[in-house]
Formats: sequence, structure tokens, C-alpha cells
Amino acid sequence: MALTSVHRRDFFRYAALAGLAVGGTGLVAACASSDSSKSSGGSSADGSKFGTVAVQLSWIKNIEFAGEYFALEKGYYKDGGFGNVDLVAGGAAGTGVEAGLDTGKIWIGMSAPQLTAPAVLNGLPAKIVGATYQKNPFAIVSSAAKPINTPQDMIGRKIGVQDSNQLVFGALLDANGIDAKSITVVPAQFDPSPLANGEVDGWVSYVTNEPITLAAKGFPNHAMLFADFKLPLVAETFTVKQETIDNERDKLKAFLIAEIKGWTDAIGDPAESARLAAEVYGKDQNLAVAEQIEEAKAQVGLVVSDDTKANGLFTITQTLIDQNIAALKAAKLDIAAGDLFDMSIINEIYTEHPDLKI
Amino acid sequence: MDRGIGGGSTMNSTTVTSTLRRVGRFLAPLAIAMALLFALWYLFLVAFPQVGPRVGKSPVDVWNYLFTTPTSHVARANLLDNLQITMRDAAIGFTAGIGAAVIVAALFVLFASLEQTLLPIAVLLRSVPLVAMTPIIVLVFGRGVAGVTVMAGIVVFFPALVMIMAGLREAPRQAQELVEAYGGSRWSALYMVAIPSALPSLFAAARISVPGALIGALIGEWLGSGEGLGSSLIKAIPRYQYNELWASVAVVTIVSIVLYAVVGVCENLVLARFGPTAGNTP
Repeated sequence: MALTSVHRRDFFRYAALAGLAVGGTGLVAACASSDSSKSSGGSSADGSKFGTVAVQLSWIKNIEFAGEYFALEKGYYKDGGFGNVDLVAGGAAGTGVEAGLDTGKIWIGMSAPQLTAPAVLNGLPAKIVGATYQKNPFAIVSSAAKPINTPQDMIGRKIGVQDSNQLVFGALLDANGIDAKSITVVPAQFDPSPLANGEVDGWVSYVTNEPITLAAKGFPNHAMLFADFKLPLVAETFTVKQETIDNERDKLKAFLIAEIKGWTDAIGDPAESARLAAEVYGKDQNLAVAEQIEEAKAQVGLVVSDDTKANGLFTITQTLIDQNIAALKAAKLDIAAGDLFDMSIINEIYTEHPDLKI
Repeated sequence: MDRGIGGGSTMNSTTVTSTLRRVGRFLAPLAIAMALLFALWYLFLVAFPQVGPRVGKSPVDVWNYLFTTPTSHVARANLLDNLQITMRDAAIGFTAGIGAAVIVAALFVLFASLEQTLLPIAVLLRSVPLVAMTPIIVLVFGRGVAGVTVMAGIVVFFPALVMIMAGLREAPRQAQELVEAYGGSRWSALYMVAIPSALPSLFAAARISVPGALIGALIGEWLGSGEGLGSSLIKAIPRYQYNELWASVAVVTIVSIVLYAVVGVCENLVLARFGPTAGNTP
């Protein structure tokens, strides 16, 4: 009798410890996991030239990755020599592209300068080799009745900020000389209903996304673009490890060519982009096609600029690079342009294939 | 006459020794478990080398981050500030959760019909993932201390409820009847029999609730209040501050084990008062 009781007590004790350990590793796992267990470096096990690669997206599978959907749908990756391309969805608290690259879970990722820079400064040999969005898509969305028109308007108010966007929000505050303590930051996920139900006054979002979905749900809103307030950061950048640039240059070029083709299609056909996002690749996200069409149209304005018309999609001019570096410096990320950007690959592609320019 | 069952005597050297032995028996496996945890940490990094040195930090890295680098004092201050918030959140959640569990358990034991109606609902609610309930909890209770307290309280409440109920039921009927036979009131029966006999369960509930309260507080901070360790350790990821992340996880884990040990030692000291085998017999 006494013996079994002792066992029971031990059971509680170890159960609690196990719970603790599981909870702890769960946290770490949550930070370090992604749903791709496939080879990231690419193998030719499937008979293709470059094998399968995993691509970390910066967000859930919505219209933001229309070019990737087209490249898959029309076989541009396969034509380029890839067996398959796994698109790994990201999210508000998902693993970053940089951690994915560092741990070998992914081969390339859609990131942003303000996310890649801290990783590079912490020793990760990685670079941005192109940018889908020429213009910073980040905006503070607010109710049209109580609009936030300038960063100063945020003082004393509640702003919903996703964990992965803390940096870019901090950069906005730094660039505009606003004390972070003067604003109440509320943890946010990808659903902007806290803004719609009045819990917060502002919401960090992509100008192409939440303003449109909120308006469609009958919430008139105003969007304040980060780009208009000293933060001209590019976004949806292609970030890879330095060793990819050094050792897999052809593979990287083949991938980017497929991306250029996919995005050229996406720009030309917002309706099909929306259909691919809402009905095929992002089916489980319950996206509304009509909203996605609006977003696809708005997105074209971020992807296509006078510069990309002259130089090709994904290219970043030296002027824009310098502006990015200056903006990062304002956010206390002091990094040299050459340590963060490498435009040689994308420029090479357009020299070899001038027909790829729109 | 001495209070309680088991008829504990005045503290003489024998009881002191047996109390110490009892506490030692509790602490020894805990120390081993702690050492094992560090071994597992190292093993994890060795078993998954692809995690790499920038994302996967070893105990030595964490030690250096917290104590030996020029910026360690900043890192420590930052971590301690956040830990304080998390401890406050967990403590309030723990108290609220255990308190509610004691009251509800007493009501359930007193009124069996209440238990039959409400316990299945409680069990059902328990199986809804906390993360999924967060938006609703936040909407109702806000993102301040109240919201986080509810989150931590929920984690604590259900296991504690079940254990305390079991404890209250274990009150020996004969002992209660004995009190009544000597003219004692219901209150003295509760005081002399039911509460002492439920003490082991109450302590066991409190002990396993320590990690639960911390986990609840961390989730509440991550998804709700946006302050404390639960928030800062997630925010460390986009900043690529994996030293901070690992240090936070290590500190929470160690604090949790230490608090668990403190509750366990209190438990053993109090139960020793009721005799060397109190809590060991059903």
C-alpha cells in the first residue's frame, strides 16, 4: 500500500517536471519549427537538375505570393530545372526566414531588410539578392473616424503590432523621433478584428492587405504608409545564404528567372492571381476572391516602378539601396550596403536575358 | 491533545531527522532532474547540429551572455525586469486558480448534484486549447493583469480542482463521526479531519500548478499583454537575439523548478507535522 502511494507521489512529481520540460521544449520548438522536413539544400533525388527546394514565405499564403503561385502553376520552376518548390507559409509569430536559412530548413526566403540586417549583424552570412516590393508596403491602418495620419498621431494610442513586425514598427518610431514608451503596443496576430471592434486604434499592416479586407467588411479606414514617413524600405526580398551565392549561382539564377516569369504573369493578370491565391494555394485561408483582386491590383503599384521598368523586376537601384541603409541606420541597425545587398545575380540575369524585362 | 490526525508529538531530534530525511527524499530526484535537463539541452544541440551556433545556444553561451560579456549587465537587467512581470502574472494566476479550485471543490463535494452537472462542462472547457480561447479571454478581460490572470488561472484551476476534490473525499468517515460523537460541530469536523486529510492533495495540486501557472502567464503575455518574458522571448526571434531567447527559456525553467521545490519543501515540512507518513498513506 505504502509503496504504491510513493509511486503516486513520484508520478505527480515527474508529471510536473515532464510538463515543464514539454512546455519548455514546446516553446523552443514553436520558435524553431516549420512544416517542411524536406531537403533544403536541394537534391537530385527526383531526377531534376536542381531537386526540390523549400521557400519560406513572409506571411500566410495570400495574394502577396501571386508570382510564386504562377511559377508553380505554369511550371516555370520545373522548366528552370527544379523538381519541386515547397512554399512554406509564414505568419505573425512564425519562424523568420533568417533562422530557417541558418538551420538549413529552407533554401531561400521572402524577407525584408529590417529582418535580414540583424541576422547578418549577428553573424549569419546571408544577403538580399532582389526585392519584389520596391516600395515599403507597411502602413498603419486606422478607423476613418479616428484616423492616424502621421506617426505623431499614434502617441497615447493603442497600436496592434505583430511580433515579426516589431522591428519595422520600431524603425518607424525611431525614424520619426517618437518615444516608444508614448505608445501602447498590443500584440497582434494576422486577423485585424481588434481594430474593427475598437480594441486598438491602429494596426500594422500591408497597405495591399488589411485596408482592403477591412473596407470590404464595412469598416472605413485610413492607411498611413511607412514609406511616406522616412522609411523607404524594400520588402519581400529574396534572401539567401552567402554559400548559395558562391556555390549555387546557376541554381539561384534559374530560381529567380522562374520568379521573374511568375511575377510578370501575376502583374498582367490580377484576377487569375486572386483565383490562385483564394482557390488553390491559399484555399484554407478563406480568402475572398473579390478582395484578393483588389489587393492584386494595389500590389502592382508596389512591385512595378519606373526603376523596374528600366532595369527589370526585383532589381534595386543604388539610390534605393542607400535609402534603405540610411533607414536601417535610423533604426540602430548599422550595416554596410555590401554586407546586406548583392545585386550582381539579378543584374547578370537581365544582361543575359534582356527579354525578361517587362 | 495535539491537533490533527497522526498525533504528532513535540519536535524532538527523531522527528527533526525524519523531517529532514523526508525533505531530502523529495529534493534529491529534483536535483538529478535538473542535471538531466542540462544534459538533455546539450544532447539536443549535439543531436541536431543543423540548428547551428547562431540559433542553438548552449548553457555555456547562455552563461556568457548573462555574466561574462561587457553587455551582460544590460542583458541581466532586461531579463530580470521581464521575469518580475512574469512572476507577478504567474503568482496572481496561481493564487486565483488554486483559490477558485478550493472553493469549487468544496462546493462540488458538498453538493453532489452540482458536481454531476458542472464537472463535465469544466472538463469540456479544459479541452479547448488555451491559445484558441485567448482572443475571447482578451476581449472579455482585457490585456492587462486581469486577462493574464485568467489565462494562468485556467491552466492552474482544472488539475487542481480534480486533485483537491479527491483529497476532500478521502477524509476518513470514522474520524469525522468520532468528532461528532464527542459533540464536535460540523466545523470542528472540517477543521480537524477534512482539511488535514486534504492537505496532501492540496499541496500536490499546488506543486504541479507552479509550472502550469508560469506557462499560462507566458501564453497570456505573448498573446495578451505584450509584456514580460512571454512577450520578450518571442520578440527576440525577429531581432535574431537567440542568446536572449535561450536565456529566457533557461531562466523560466530554473525558476519553475525552484518554485516547485519550494512548494515541495513546504509540503514536506507541514505534512511531517502530521506524522512521518502523512501524505504517504491514502
